[in-house]
Formats: sequence, C-alpha cells, structure tokens
Amino acid sequence: MAILPQPILNLINAFERLPGIGPKSASRLAFFLLRGQDDLANTLAQALLELKSATSYCAICYNITLSSQDVCDICASTQRDKSVICVVEEPLDVLAVERTGGFNGQYHVLHGVISPIEGIGPEDLKIKALIDRVEKGGISEIIIATNPSMEGDVTAQYLQKQLLKFGIRITRLARGLPVGGDMEYADQNTLLRALAGRQEL
Amino acid sequence: MHLAHLSLTNFRLFHRLDVEIPPRFLLLTGANAQGKTSLLEAIYFLATFTSFQAQHDRQLINFLALREDLPVTRLLADFHQGGHSRRLEVRIILENNGNGGARLRKEILLDGVRRPAHDAVGQFAAVIFLPQMARVVEGAPEERRRYMNLAISQAFPGYARLLGEYQQVLTQRNALLKQIAESGRGRDQLDYWDELLADKGAQLMYARIKAVEELERIVTGIHLRLTRGKEELRLMYMPAYDPQAQRAGQYALPIHTTVVRRAMGQDEIRKGFIERLQALRNEEILRGVSTIGPHRDDLRFLANQVDLGDFGSRGQIRTLLLALKVAEAAWLKECKGEFPVVLLDEILAELDIQRRNDLLYALSECEQVLCTSTDPSMFSPDFVEQCTVWQVVGGQVSSL
Repeated sequence: MAILPQPILNLINAFERLPGIGPKSASRLAFFLLRGQDDLANTLAQALLELKSATSYCAICYNITLSSQDVCDICASTQRDKSVICVVEEPLDVLAVERTGGFNGQYHVLHGVISPIEGIGPEDLKIKALIDRVEKGGISEIIIATNPSMEGDVTAQYLQKQLLKFGIRITRLARGLPVGGDMEYADQNTLLRALAGRQEL
Repeated sequence: MHLAHLSLTNFRLFHRLDVEIPPRFLLLTGANAQGKTSLLEAIYFLATFTSFQAQHDRQLINFLALREDLPVTRLLADFHQGGHSRRLEVRIILENNGNGGARLRKEILLDGVRRPAHDAVGQFAAVIFLPQMARVVEGAPEERRRYMNLAISQAFPGYARLLGEYQQVLTQRNALLKQIAESGRGRDQLDYWDELLADKGAQLMYARIKAVEELERIVTGIHLRLTRGKEELRLMYMPAYDPQAQRAGQYALPIHTTVVRRAMGQDEIRKGFIERLQALRNEEILRGVSTIGPHRDDLRFLANQVDLGDFGSRGQIRTLLLALKVAEAAWLKECKGEFPVVLLDEILAELDIQRRNDLLYALSECEQVLCTSTDPSMFSPDFVEQCTVWQVVGGQVSSL
C-alpha cells in the first residue's frame, strides 16, 4: 500500500519525467505546491494547459506563436527587413539572436538538424517550407545559423546546395574566439577555425 | 619528462598506494600476481586514459571497491615537464543510475583544471611494453590501428580529437548507408557525409603516413643493432583507401616495394578519397557500411622483406616490439622535446644474452625507465647497479 495518497504520487511521477529532475526534487516540488497557496497551483495548472492548446507554429517561419494568430509577431511586423532570412535549428535559437538586437530580418526554424543516426533526414525538417519561401521571391540573403556541430555543418551544406539555384546570397555565421575570451584558454579546434576564418583589418 | 610521485586509490589490486618514483631507472621485482604490471598499467593510463590490458575501464576498479556504494578509482601523478612540476589526476567513478544499472564516469584534471580526454592526452607521455603485445604484430589489424592511435595521439596534438570526429562521421554515414539500403531514402545526403569522411580521413591518413615514416627511420637502425646487422626492418603503412594504389590492369607490385607516401599532400589524398567513395557508392549502399577509410587501415612489419606477422618467430617478434618501443621513445622525444616515461614488463624473457645487453644499452639514453621482472638476475649486474630496486608484494611496495 502506498504511503502517500495517489494524487501526490501522480504529480511526483509527472515531475520526475521532466529533464533535470530526480525523485528528490520531484517530491520537494510536489509538496511545495501542496502546502503553497491555492492560486499558485491554479496558475501553474492553467499555464500548463494553455502551453499546448494556446500555442502553434507560425505559418511562415515555423517559430512558436499564439494559436490565435496565423503568423508570429516577427513575420507580421512591417518594421523588419523581409528580404533577409536567418535559418536556425530551434525556437530558442531565435530568442538568442533576438537578444543580441543586431538582426532585423526574419527567421526560419528548421526544428532539428540532419542526423542519420536518429533517422532525421531533410524531409523531417522544415526545409521544403524554406525553399517555398525563397521561391516566392523578394529574398536577397539567407543566413544559415545552425550550430557549429558536424550535423549542423551537414545541414548547412545541404541547404546551400538546395538554395544555390536561386542565385541569392547565402552566408553562414562566423566561428571563432568568444568575445572577452582569452586566447590561451581557447581549445585547439576553435583556435584553428578562428585562424582559418581570419579577417582583413 | 619524468614521474616524481604516484598515488593510486582502488586501482586494480592497489587499495591505496602512495610512492615517490626515483628519477632514473626503477626495477620492480616480486612474485606473480602482486601488482608489478598493474603499476605500469596505471602509469600508462595517465598518458592515454585507456588501458592496454582491460577491455573496459570498469575492470580497472579494485574489485573489493566495486562492492561499495560509490566505487571511485583515483590516479594521481606529479611529473616534471620542461623544468616545471605538473599534476595529473584521473578519477573513474561508477555511478548508480537509480534503476539497477551503473554508469562509468571518467574525470581528468590537469593542474587541477578539468580537461576533456582528447585535450589532455599526451601531456604526460609514456611508452609501454607488455609481453601480450605480440598480438600487435600477430593479431587482427584492429590491434595495430589501436597501437598506432595510442602512439600518435601522444605525439601529435589534435590527433585524438580528430579520431573522435572521424568516428562520429563514420557512425552517421553508416546509419545513412543502412537507411538508403532499407528504404531508398536519403541518397542525396551522401555527398555531404562523403566530404566530411574524406576530409577527416585524409587528415588522419596524413598523420599516420608522417608518423610511420618518422618511426621507421628511427626503428630500422635500432633493430639492425639488436639483430647484429642481420635483419633489416621496414614498417609498411597499408591504408584501406590507398591513394597510391596501382590502377586496374597494371601488374600488382609485390608487398615490399617501396612506396614514397610523403610525396602526396593532404589535399590530394582528400580529393582521391572522395572520388573513390563515389566509385564505390553502389557497393557501399548494398553492404550498408563504409568500406574504405582509416578505420580499416593496417600496418605491417617486414624483416628482410618477410612479413613478421605471418612468418616471425617468437623471438623475432619480441625483438621487433622492443626495437619499436625504444624507437617510440626516441620519436616522442623528437616530437615533444622530452623523453616519455618508458614502461617495460618482463622485457628480458625470451631474449638471448647478446640481445639483452644490447637492449639495456639502448635504453640507457632514456630519461626514466620502469622495468618489472620476477627474476632480477636476468639483468646484468652493471644495469642493476644503476637501478633502484623495489619489491612488490600484494599491492604494497618496499625498497630493497
């Protein structure tokens, strides 16, 4: 017989399935909610329900947006440069680029990278949608911002080949030393790449 | 380079060992199964972070410690390099993952800073000889690739990392080949993986060509001296994708024909590699694996143009290995400016008296040498005089 009532066990089990949460953290969280004020549990429950029901993918860039709107705020904005598209792996990468404030174009989220081991091919990613976007015209540059991993590189090369026929500018994010970093602490590979991609002063 | 201090916790049969290592020659004596070889194994582990003996790092953990809740093996070494004292620590931790299984975690700290293995390898360098290394000569090509990889990773910075990257490309490419064979999907992606495979592969091959050539230059002389000028040793690097293979229709050249491999640049190798992959594409898809590349390379040892792997006597193979080890030490000295620590397990067994003396003479150049023997009388009195002699009994060390 279980010592704890079933509703608490259910919550603990659910928490445990989250990344980075073990059995101890799960029970602590469950009991915190149990003892806490009613509105905290209610707010959380409401937020969780809405998480799935009230969000959807933007019809243009496949970033996550409210289900009440067809396209995301960035795609709908008239202030942004519609001729430049930055291609990223995940929605969180959009956030990372946005935080810099240095980019005023639009995005395209692939939702993954090519990885044969995991059985992910180009047809499982939003690559067709990107090509359709470019085909419609009005695009002058594609910035490929996949991660500097082996899979990210292969995806970038695949995209480049698919987009070559449109005759637009295709660029890839530079790789090299981190800002404020120290040369002597950079690992060999990063330093090698930085050396290969050095720029004229 | 020399090792000054070694501390082991729960390594093999050593429950706890804490010793100062003498700077020159150390002779470890004792009966069988007392820990002589394990001590050498521990020191070699600090250079390569892998064991030549054990199939799995788990086997390195003291078997009594394995019964504890959180078994931890710790190896700690203070060594001198270029006039500086440095510290290397490796922890092997067996963690319970909660559902009855266990996960092995390896942590490497160089001068107190955590470093990935491919970065820390070769900082402390060592060369090891074990009698069972005869399988490097006689065994499967895999043994020789492993031998090459361990030696080259210590000599060339970046090689270990490259090896890991190549393995990663290989796994992805093989998965893709299988997928194409099964479903016909993804043929258009193969180009990109081919390019990566050829790029990493050509770098690996170039490093191996360079290493084998440099090593051969040194080992031939040593081997000639050990055999009193009777046997001329040659090392033949046999890449699975051979950029210098003769074209179809030509007569095949006999194995001992000299091929000057250094004549080819890395870029040339890469281009030829890609072409070959494209020519083999249909076959590779049918078989579902990558059939050429450094993961299938081989290395052959020829004495007077006879392949020792096939025809070598036990004594010949042993002489070859010892010459190779002395050469490795000299080669590492060339590459890094300092001698590695030389570890020799039962080296004098199976050698005639002449070769024993020649070998000990060849070793006298090295900075620090650790030998084991069940019978110290096999060593010449002159040599023993230069040595510090230790007795190893049941995982404890005492000086004689």
